[in-house]
Amino acid sequence: MEKVKVMIVDDSKISRAMIRGHLAKTNFEVCAEAKTAAEAVALYGETHPSIITMDMNLPDADGIECSRRIHAIDSDVKIIMISAMKDASLVATGREVGISAFLQKPISTNDLIDTMMVLCQSKVGKIAVLRESYAKAFVRALQQGIFSMIGVHSEVSLELDDRRYLDVSGIAVIVGLTGFPVGRAIVYMDVDTMNKFSSIMLNIDDPKDLDEDDASDTVEEAVNIIVGRGVSNINDVFKDKEMRITPPGTISGTNIRIASPKLTTFKITADTRIGKIYLNVGFAEGE
Amino acid sequence: MDAKLVNPFVDAFTSVMPQMGFPEPKRAKLYVRERNAVSRGVSVIVGFTKQIRGNVVYNMSEDTAKYIASTMMMGMPINEFDAMAQSAISEMSNMLTANAATNLTGMGLEVDISTPSLTIGANFQVKISDSQYLTVEMDLGGQIVELDIAVDQK
Repeated sequence: MEKVKVMIVDDSKISRAMIRGHLAKTNFEVCAEAKTAAEAVALYGETHPSIITMDMNLPDADGIECSRRIHAIDSDVKIIMISAMKDASLVATGREVGISAFLQKPISTNDLIDTMMVLCQSKVGKIAVLRESYAKAFVRALQQGIFSMIGVHSEVSLELDDRRYLDVSGIAVIVGLTGFPVGRAIVYMDVDTMNKFSSIMLNIDDPKDLDEDDASDTVEEAVNIIVGRGVSNINDVFKDKEMRITPPGTISGTNIRIASPKLTTFKITADTRIGKIYLNVGFAEGE
Repeated sequence: MDAKLVNPFVDAFTSVMPQMGFPEPKRAKLYVRERNAVSRGVSVIVGFTKQIRGNVVYNMSEDTAKYIASTMMMGMPINEFDAMAQSAISEMSNMLTANAATNLTGMGLEVDISTPSLTIGANFQVKISDSQYLTVEMDLGGQIVELDIAVDQK
């Protein structure tokens, strides 16, 4: 992924250092830092960044006025307003002068990066956006969910899944994703892992005491929680786009093949001491 | 679940299928089942949320799926239930569900639908409800497409 140039506009040395810190080790490269509106306009002309972070209070003009001037030079530039105050009237005025996103101080690294990724989708590519901003939310949800529900640690990996099918023997819980982007998450595991998972969750010591329906219901409920948490992670970042989940559909059997035509899918694997738990999350393309 | 929620799905099926070149579908059987739908071979699951929550499964044999895919592709012969045929069945499920969603909106119910998941296999079942749900068998030119409808109004 190519580097994306960023200019920071903020009169506070501390704020500039914090934003620079957030962007360290990412594909966003700080090419200029401006302390005033006049300096911002001049540096914009020299460095042509793709993204600008804009403070509201500047010594010679406010962030709105500064954004207006820069947007007049180049209407393609993406401006993110980072301010202590964020209210509806600021957002409305800001949109009029071409500000694309609004973040409130203190900002988190995740919020900043996610926002930047979305704003420069055409530069970094759709798959990178889906991976960084959406699939990773499910990686955290899977790892934390497994740990909080059964106290088991897992090594988690994420990869783009270019298989046309998932082949499942055991249990697969399908949860639909609606809103933006639309898609579905499927968590699957073999019968042995399902039985161990539900025995721990239900405090059953002897595997013989585990009822088959109880085992699948337990996994179903766990998946509902994990996927719900993943979607909450996403909604926390993109507050203007609400994603929702549908009730789960739970498939059990052997040699089941699940196909999802036209989705971009990611395979998340949690390797645990009770076996492997997979989460395949797919998003509709072209949205 | 409420029986009045079945009609939007049956109506969608009866109005959409003839537009794709199928004979007029007939409602063959309607019955109540519990928890699990047993796959006939090819099952497409679609989730619903907002004012209607639950799942609908379009359930059919692989032969029926091949017949549908072939008819959708202007009679192109289909020997294997391959990626293209699967894509056709997914597309059909999308159209039927979107049409049903429009019918539900017409009843004043706001719905959002997920993307379809197409599942293939001889030996599996799908749990779509904690309690009872309704199954409608639709006769499509002598082939049976089963609609398993497990949705509730919130």
